[in-house]
Amino acid sequence: MENILSVLVFFPAIAGLLGFVVNKESARVYGITVAAMEFFLSLWLWFAFDGNNAGMQFVEMIPMIPDFGVSYYLGVDGISLFIVLMSTLMTLIGMMSMNITKNIKNMVITLLFLEMTMVGVFLSLDAIIFYLFWELSLVPMLYIIGAWGGPLRIYASIKFFLYTFMGSLIMLVGMLFVAYIYHDLTGVWSFALTDWYALVLPVSYQLWLFAAFFIGFAIKVPMFPFHTWLPYAHGQAPTIGSVILAAVLLKMGTYGFVRFSLPMFPDASVIAITPIAIIAIIMIIYTAMVAYAQKDMKQVIAYSSVSHMGIIMLGIFAMNAEGIGGSVFQMLSHGIVSGALFMLVGVIYDRRHTKIMDEFGGLATVMPKYAVIFGIMLMASVGLPLTIGFVGEFLVLIGFYQVSPIMTILAGTSIIVGAVYMLSVYKKSFFGPITNEANKTLEDLDVKETMSLVPLVMIVVWLGVYPKPVLEPINNSVKAMLSFMDEKAITQEAKDMIKVAKSTQEIK
Amino acid sequence: MENLVYVALFAPLISSLFAALFGMSPRQTFVGIVSSVLLFVSMLASLILAYHVYQTGMPIHVTMMEWISMGDLFIPFGFLVDQVSVTMMSVVTLVSTVVHVYSIGYMDHDKSFNRFFSYLSAFVFSMMVLVMSDNFAGLFIGWEGVGVCSWLLIGFWYHKPDQSREENPSISPSWAANEAFIVNRIADLGMLVGIFILYWNVGSLQYDEVFAALPNLSESILTAAALALFIGAMGKSAQFPLHTWLTDAMEGPTPVSALIHAATMVTAGVFLVIRANPLFSMTPEVSFFIAALGTFVAFFAASMALVNRDLKRIIAFSTLSQLGYMFAAAGLGAYWIALFHLGAHAFFKALLFLGAGNVMHAMHDELDIFKMGGLKKQMKWTYIYMGVASLALAGIPPLAGFFSKDAIIETAFNEGRLVLWAILVVTAGMTAFYSFRQVFLTFDGDERYKEFGIHPHEMYKFVLVALSPLALLAVAAGFFQGAFHDFVTRLLPEYEMSEHTHHLALILGAIVLVFAVGGIVLAYKKYAKGLRRDEKVENGFLYKLLANQYYIPHLYEEIISKPYKMISDLMWKNVDLKIVDATVDGIAKFLYKSGDGTRKMQTGNLSSYLNWMAIGGILLLVVAMLSAMLG
Amino acid sequence: MIGLNHYLIVSALLFSIGLVGVLRRRNLLMLFFATEVMLNAVNIAFAAISHYYNDLTGQMFAFFVIAIAASEVAVGLGILIVLYKKQGSLDLDELATMKG
Repeated sequence: MENILSVLVFFPAIAGLLGFVVNKESARVYGITVAAMEFFLSLWLWFAFDGNNAGMQFVEMIPMIPDFGVSYYLGVDGISLFIVLMSTLMTLIGMMSMNITKNIKNMVITLLFLEMTMVGVFLSLDAIIFYLFWELSLVPMLYIIGAWGGPLRIYASIKFFLYTFMGSLIMLVGMLFVAYIYHDLTGVWSFALTDWYALVLPVSYQLWLFAAFFIGFAIKVPMFPFHTWLPYAHGQAPTIGSVILAAVLLKMGTYGFVRFSLPMFPDASVIAITPIAIIAIIMIIYTAMVAYAQKDMKQVIAYSSVSHMGIIMLGIFAMNAEGIGGSVFQMLSHGIVSGALFMLVGVIYDRRHTKIMDEFGGLATVMPKYAVIFGIMLMASVGLPLTIGFVGEFLVLIGFYQVSPIMTILAGTSIIVGAVYMLSVYKKSFFGPITNEANKTLEDLDVKETMSLVPLVMIVVWLGVYPKPVLEPINNSVKAMLSFMDEKAITQEAKDMIKVAKSTQEIK
Repeated sequence: MENLVYVALFAPLISSLFAALFGMSPRQTFVGIVSSVLLFVSMLASLILAYHVYQTGMPIHVTMMEWISMGDLFIPFGFLVDQVSVTMMSVVTLVSTVVHVYSIGYMDHDKSFNRFFSYLSAFVFSMMVLVMSDNFAGLFIGWEGVGVCSWLLIGFWYHKPDQSREENPSISPSWAANEAFIVNRIADLGMLVGIFILYWNVGSLQYDEVFAALPNLSESILTAAALALFIGAMGKSAQFPLHTWLTDAMEGPTPVSALIHAATMVTAGVFLVIRANPLFSMTPEVSFFIAALGTFVAFFAASMALVNRDLKRIIAFSTLSQLGYMFAAAGLGAYWIALFHLGAHAFFKALLFLGAGNVMHAMHDELDIFKMGGLKKQMKWTYIYMGVASLALAGIPPLAGFFSKDAIIETAFNEGRLVLWAILVVTAGMTAFYSFRQVFLTFDGDERYKEFGIHPHEMYKFVLVALSPLALLAVAAGFFQGAFHDFVTRLLPEYEMSEHTHHLALILGAIVLVFAVGGIVLAYKKYAKGLRRDEKVENGFLYKLLANQYYIPHLYEEIISKPYKMISDLMWKNVDLKIVDATVDGIAKFLYKSGDGTRKMQTGNLSSYLNWMAIGGILLLVVAMLSAMLG
Repeated sequence: MIGLNHYLIVSALLFSIGLVGVLRRRNLLMLFFATEVMLNAVNIAFAAISHYYNDLTGQMFAFFVIAIAASEVAVGLGILIVLYKKQGSLDLDELATMKG
């Protein structure tokens, strides 16, 4: 199957179109079937993927607008492979756990379209195609929040849309400018990322372009102080929307940094290390404190997402394999853990129709299974060893320690402040006597919920104990990227900062 | 032999998973029995390994599989069974097995019986990972693992409500659990930093490679690494100022207190210092700091134990105090003595706690020793056990505590640290006093419990039998000092007393003994006849200071917890909503408002349009003129 | 002697009178007259400058302006009459039907 990537991208969309003729009652089953098939396709991709090959694989390239060098160009490497897998997995799991009765058919079709755009973003190697999927992903999410959301849904969805849209427009300007310079230097138009990588730009250009891409990605991540759309979006979105938003859409931003900013502008990236690290540390500590102050359980998880994305940002700018590889792994880990946590919040919301923690208390007594799974996800979220959360966080911190010990210690406080807000959520909701009558008769997890949460628990433990199958391809691709960046960097400072792993040097 | 390593390590894990299968079903005794048997298997394997290492003198090193590999970082799951780790393994599995059997009786009436065994065995597994790992990252797995199990077990009775500090100094089990976890996390950050320093300077986290590379490192790096690792040790071993969680941890079931918060987990910090002894012996300043802090904590904790009325908290303070002794020994370079005291302490302290558990069981969870007294009639065996354990704790020959503690005090003298020596000697006297104050108040004198309508009864027979190995070891462990010394000094640095100290050994021992016996006699005079409360003393400043733990928990509450909560609220309500988000909304509002404002130009009146057109034309003219003039 | 400047000043004066008329008048008919005044002011300037440079292009342009102004008035007046028949007024303030 040579066109596996195209199939992966368009299968959900075509299935989504066919979804219009499916009748209402079977829409959910139809959605799950399609998502499962898509997930197995991505598993197959993993199976066929050559872990030792650090470059792009399964490349497909069809010129679309040859005069301007725009082509349909897809490819996958160790960095994008697992994010794609995570996207298809979380869509499947989200679909399985979905508890929506209103307009279920529309929801299924929307989700399938969303899946196309997500997979498309992570697989495209042409800037225009990337941009296309990037912007298209906003539309289904806008619809999900706006149509199935809470009381403030219109405000939240429009804020989400306009905010991220504004950022990506600036990114588009940056992309057009890169293409223009490419045309200037080589005489041909190209939007292919692999062509762009070869472009060596003067530092001043790099800085401007880095800034343009930065705004696009930073709003998506979201980095402090561009994060305020997130709590609203999460607060108003239905559970499925939050799951996809936290698990996948946020990763587009950090993925963009790894895919575009670092290899294209190595010198500017090195200059940006300190400012970005400072922002990342603010994200980690500040949002953790804000999360601690929340009364709404879902808002805590939403702010904790920002805090964890800070760790990912820090790792990306560690400029060594430990840090960047750790960040990529942390993207997966955060996707799975925060997705699961949002689903868990959804479970209690479905039963009590409130997310305010003061309403709960003593849930562990009436809902033991729920408490156990929440506890495991909590521990993964605070980075307990042998869960998925530790591996990424540890690698990021150890990687950044080489850049700056002081900043690493400041960022390392995430293991403390993270524990503070997570444990306080757990204590408020699950421990203590049952004070609220409404909680006395709550049902524990039903089959549907258990079926969707248990696989996530298994992944959390599996990748915590044996992360090798995932780490190895990431490691190879990241190492290759770093040695490439090191070669390409113009300034000596950048060459000094970018640390090529010893094992790659030996191969050279 | 390699298979035995895995048996010793994974039997507790299997036990935990097995018990977890029944975690949500009602009490089933066989779960406890199966768990205990599996723990016993682990203990046997550990003892065989110990014998093997003793015989051959060769450590066993196995690498199970790769864990994390990224860039130049490579961390395997590797396990090392050498003299130090096998000692710890034996102590841990032995105490754990006894505690498991004990819990079958103690947790008898608890509806979460099965869940308890799952947690308890999971703890033992984590502890085994901690002591057996052959690298710092593996140690950290165990380190965090025991932290989580401790969180689960302290908060085991999670359904209890929060109370005010006056009613219950630890507020509630769930509160105490969170406190323990968070305080430990603070220390863990130090530990992580230590690991990072070693990794970037050595390029590996394997013990052997790190220790081999130490001589090439600069002094400042060594000091930083040693200090950072010790901060980690301070959290787990509850050294000042991170000590408050340990006494609050007494909210957990008593077997947990015996196993985790006395015998094993809290000694992990001491274990780390012993394990990393090549590092610490190269950094004399840090080592002296450890010794000084240890001595201070020994005294500090003992002083708080003097006036406490809570059966378990007194023992918790004494644990803290004894950990101080261990750190004093380790800091002074007598690593094997520290390890020896660690082992001996594990036996008698576990026995003491389990005895206290018997008392609690008999007294229907009453903990106030002022409400007990005269229990020796009903609980003869418990009385004997606790008496023996207290004698050992007080350091009365020929019990285990005498040999180990005396060696530590002697080390302080030998190193010429006379101040430390004096404090440790005085502390030994205080130790004897508070432990016998507790014993006499509980078991001797008038039967005060009758006022509260409690009918105490002795613990089940099998529980008492299960405790006998601990009692035996508490009595006899001291006699193995010589053999133990020969065994562990193959790996740990030799520590010998100087000629001078050797001559004075008898006198020094006698001084300590005088203090210890003096403490016991004082306690006997004051409390053996019954409780005589002295209002004047109890209202005195010193008594109140000690009874309130020097007001440190209050202080932490006022200067850390409350401000953190306040700042968090401020950050959310004022900064996040009113500054950051308001700015974003402000920009959006500005765009909207300006559109709304300019809309008014569209009056539909041709005349006003013409006016605007004229203004625009004039403006354009002005711009053209200006640009012509400037350009 | 009457020079170019004098013509231009007259032209500017006429233009300003026309402009004020455009800005101040409310009656549509008067507005037309005002624009005519402005156009003729420009014509004077065209003719004068054309003479000054000895280049006939300016005078040609003036003729074009006159021709177009005439046709514009024809169409404009036509619309005006229709509008008056329909609305019964030529006051601009009463004709604001496209208020935003």
